[in-house]
Amino acid sequence: MRLEKHASSLVDYTQPLSFVFNNKAYKGFKGDTLASALVANDVLYYARSFKYGRKRGIIGAGVEEPNALVSLEIGGRYTPNMKATEIMLYDGLSAVSSSNPHSIDFRAMIKPLHRFMPAGFYYKTFIKQKVWSIVEDRLRSLSGFSKAPLVTDEDVYDHIFQHTEVLVIGGGVAGMSAALEVLSGSKVARVILVDERENLGGELTNEFTTDQTATLWFQEAKGKLQKYRDEDNSRLKILTSATAYAWYDHNYIEVLQTHGTGQSMIHESGQTARKVLHKIRTKEVILATGAHERPMLFETNDLANIMLSQSVRRYINEFNVVAGKEIVLYGNNDSIYNTAIDLSKHNIKSKVVDVRASGNESEIILEAKKIGIEVFQGFAVLKAKGKSRVTGVEISQVEMQAKPPHWKSKWRITGDTKTINCDLLATSGGFNPVVHLDCHCGGKTYFDETSQSFLPQKERKERQVCGAVNSVGFWKDAMIDAKNKAQLTLSSLGEEVEVTPQKLTNRSHNYFNVDQFFTPLEILNKPKVFIDLQNDVTTLDVALSIREGYQSIEHIKRYTAMGFGTDQGKTGNINGIAVAAEFLDAPMSEVGTTTFRPAYTGVDFGAMAGREVGDFFDPQRFTTIHDSHVNSGAKFEVVGQWYRPWYYPKNGEDIHQAVNRECRAVRSSLGMMDASTLGKIDIQGKDAREFLSRVYTNAWMKLAPGSCRYGLMCNEKGMIIDDGVSTCINDHHFIMTTTTGGAASVYSTLEMWLQTEWSHLDVHLSSVTDQFSTVAVVGPNARKLMNKLCPDVDFDSKSFKFMQWRPGTVCGVEARIMRISFSGELAYEINIAANYGRFIWDEVAREGQEWNITPYGTESMHVLRAEKGFIIVGQDTDGSMTPMDVNMNWILAKNKPFSYIGRRSFSVSALNSNDRLQLVGLLTKDDQVVLPEGAHIISNKGISIGYVTSSYYSPVLGRSIALAQLKGGLSKMSETVLVKIVQEKQGLKEIPCEVSSSVFYDINGEKVDGNE
Amino acid sequence: MFSIHCPYCKEPRDQNEFSPAGEAFIARPENPEALSDEQWADYVFYRTNLKGDHWEQWVHTSGCRKYFLVKRSTISHEVIEVATFEEIDSENAS
Ligand SMILES: [Zn+2]
Repeated sequence: MRLEKHASSLVDYTQPLSFVFNNKAYKGFKGDTLASALVANDVLYYARSFKYGRKRGIIGAGVEEPNALVSLEIGGRYTPNMKATEIMLYDGLSAVSSSNPHSIDFRAMIKPLHRFMPAGFYYKTFIKQKVWSIVEDRLRSLSGFSKAPLVTDEDVYDHIFQHTEVLVIGGGVAGMSAALEVLSGSKVARVILVDERENLGGELTNEFTTDQTATLWFQEAKGKLQKYRDEDNSRLKILTSATAYAWYDHNYIEVLQTHGTGQSMIHESGQTARKVLHKIRTKEVILATGAHERPMLFETNDLANIMLSQSVRRYINEFNVVAGKEIVLYGNNDSIYNTAIDLSKHNIKSKVVDVRASGNESEIILEAKKIGIEVFQGFAVLKAKGKSRVTGVEISQVEMQAKPPHWKSKWRITGDTKTINCDLLATSGGFNPVVHLDCHCGGKTYFDETSQSFLPQKERKERQVCGAVNSVGFWKDAMIDAKNKAQLTLSSLGEEVEVTPQKLTNRSHNYFNVDQFFTPLEILNKPKVFIDLQNDVTTLDVALSIREGYQSIEHIKRYTAMGFGTDQGKTGNINGIAVAAEFLDAPMSEVGTTTFRPAYTGVDFGAMAGREVGDFFDPQRFTTIHDSHVNSGAKFEVVGQWYRPWYYPKNGEDIHQAVNRECRAVRSSLGMMDASTLGKIDIQGKDAREFLSRVYTNAWMKLAPGSCRYGLMCNEKGMIIDDGVSTCINDHHFIMTTTTGGAASVYSTLEMWLQTEWSHLDVHLSSVTDQFSTVAVVGPNARKLMNKLCPDVDFDSKSFKFMQWRPGTVCGVEARIMRISFSGELAYEINIAANYGRFIWDEVAREGQEWNITPYGTESMHVLRAEKGFIIVGQDTDGSMTPMDVNMNWILAKNKPFSYIGRRSFSVSALNSNDRLQLVGLLTKDDQVVLPEGAHIISNKGISIGYVTSSYYSPVLGRSIALAQLKGGLSKMSETVLVKIVQEKQGLKEIPCEVSSSVFYDINGEKVDGNE
Repeated sequence: MFSIHCPYCKEPRDQNEFSPAGEAFIARPENPEALSDEQWADYVFYRTNLKGDHWEQWVHTSGCRKYFLVKRSTISHEVIEVATFEEIDSENAS
């Protein structure tokens, strides 16, 4: 119901807006939230509950709302599970309930069969009886809220890095006062003021109708802040509609800001962000996050139109709406009287039920009585009446029997029950300071008996708390508290300020003077007393959890799912703790809270990703030859961010046909490959040679200039971490190549040894991967082509031997030509300055036509090397393989004076066991079956004794080949083993294979000199 | 996310520019071959894993690529001190 316009309202009646909710059209005004506009239109039901499918109404007015979850918009702007209370209305808005309250619900139908499902119901019913697999799909489809988006988000999201001296979180009285105090007390300190609502002021707006000084203070403070913000070189940033949701180490705080109203930001001039993620690093934090009201507990407290008292107040004062005409207010503190008085100003009748006995009344209670509000003191609501919405309450007199620390049954219900009719029930069980953020990064809480709430720990480095989060309720006190704390912040920043803490008035008009949690067992033991509305957790679930042995609050939370919802138990959790305390007969302080973790509120994945989507998701690296590969129709694979040609299909070939053709070309005539992506590290200095012999397992001291050598690199554990060929340019200059994917980590490891252990060695490293392009010319006819391309080098195999390099001029370009081979064929790698890559590649291709030169990709490279049994580090090894395990004992130098990295580990007994996984070849008995990589080799007892690491069809051999890690494999040559594979539609199958040498082709290495 | 002051770049930078490189002051043994398996395992595998102020190595991966030392509380994650290897060496020498 919409009310008359009044002074504190933020709704603009001159700007009507149309919107659609659950397929029905409504009207609201600018300044409304979606929730307030729906309340104005008398919408009652917003959701069905998670477990029981009960119809639910709205409870809160802001971030605490557990029920009114909606999915906003459709298509590319669809956003699931937003709180209707936090969406600012805009023209044309469309939203649907996350769980439609008007559809027939399977959960609501099974309810009569099982009555209420206790915690652990699904487990006990289905999993124990082994029928889970039958019902799982059905249940899973019912669970959860909303549907995941189906199409790409059409909005963009931005990240902004911010640095500041002071971050004030919360823009109510306390936050505004603290920000002003810092700005006036310092000439340099920068301030960022953050608030989740669209307007500053927080709950102060509620005071405007009754307290003229509040209005005046607010206008003045707002004016001052705006002046600070608008001046040149402003030190103040104000972020509204912005929620600080996570506090990480070293005062790094993330704030998610919804841009303007949340409506489409797509303009003709371009697209601006729908949401902005501010990444704020601050020196000091002032927490002024306020408090959330907690509801009272009674039977069927989940009916529609049972709301929080302070929310009802906010709906009247900020939005001019109210959800009923006949209202009952129920609680244990003075705030309910404020709501009653505000209602009376709109001529709305209300009755107050207060569990506290009469006597010692505060001014506000007396005032309420004076204006004729009917008050039941010492009464409690036992039950809300009504089917789906509240129609009345059953109340009874209560009396307090015992005081702490003997908490058990401190309440007794006395007298007869009577019924009061109402169409809206507003409750207040006290206030929970919003301590979440403070606890994300190490802050602790303690239970404060006076305010009956968990408060943030008093002292914390670089952080102050003020206002309601510090249990200071009265707005003038919050202002004083904030000033006092801001002075401490200034002094911590090194400002010369006089810290003169002002005393609080401690007026009784303080919502934190609440009575104890009202938790009589007569009520708690009733069914349908809900603690967590979103997850349908009742008091009996908590009792059951405790009975079944889950007594720690962390266990209770997990057993019952209390606080697991998207609202993270903002209204319900503390009540849950109180209920647990009652059942456990323990004080609140002993029960404690569950752990508060980021994020405080939901964060869109889009906002987390920011602009790092699509092409910006990951860096893409291309060789200078890339365009030529594209022109040749290459398919690519990504290796360590590099786009490497995978294979070059011709005339509609599939991958197998293309690879077979490429491999045959290399083995019979000539192939070419872009090897530019291999990591290259330039090593210089007079100790370069010594350095190589320390980090590689083999000997390097006698490698002559003009020669190359293959090296295997291990870590101190003796495990292989990389391999590659290093080239001796001269005695003080080497170029190391690494695997494509391992380049960065090898470089970093080498730097670590040099900087931390061997700083006395004269060695300098530079990554030169990007500085060279490498074209490999591979095949028996490689020499013939090289003679044609590079006339100034003698390629005769007697003078330019395998594992040597020569400087030369290739097509007029200075080059280093290495004669190394990863295929067993005669091969030359032409290294030229990176930008000549494309030119040389194209020249090689043109000049090689005579021998039908064939470009080949990584897939053929893998087949060719596997035929020769060459390992790929990271594919045939996994970080737990020694050189002995891969049958490479030959590469372990015996007589190096320096105990090279990993050497000592080779003599450790565990690494010499014959039971270790060892690299072998596998030949399937049916030579046309290609084993899947990763398939396990099984013993006759069905236990895994190894697995396939590489597997291909070898065109030159006309059969399949595989490399595998097999337990004790090197002593199992010629034995038959079984490899278990899954065949499509045929299920599991065991494939017999013969264990063989890992070298399948050209076993004696006769091909390496190629054709003359 | 930590904020770490790089002693070479002389500026605080975000953690994602750095990589951790293990506990500090674990010297590679002079003569590994002379050690027992247990002594070697102690060097390779065993770390103090202490609760309190911990010296560790970090490298400014996306910056100057220098390794340096960080004294960090494993309880609060507060960085108490940063130093270069040279600074520590000269401190030990004096
Ligand atoms: Zn640096």
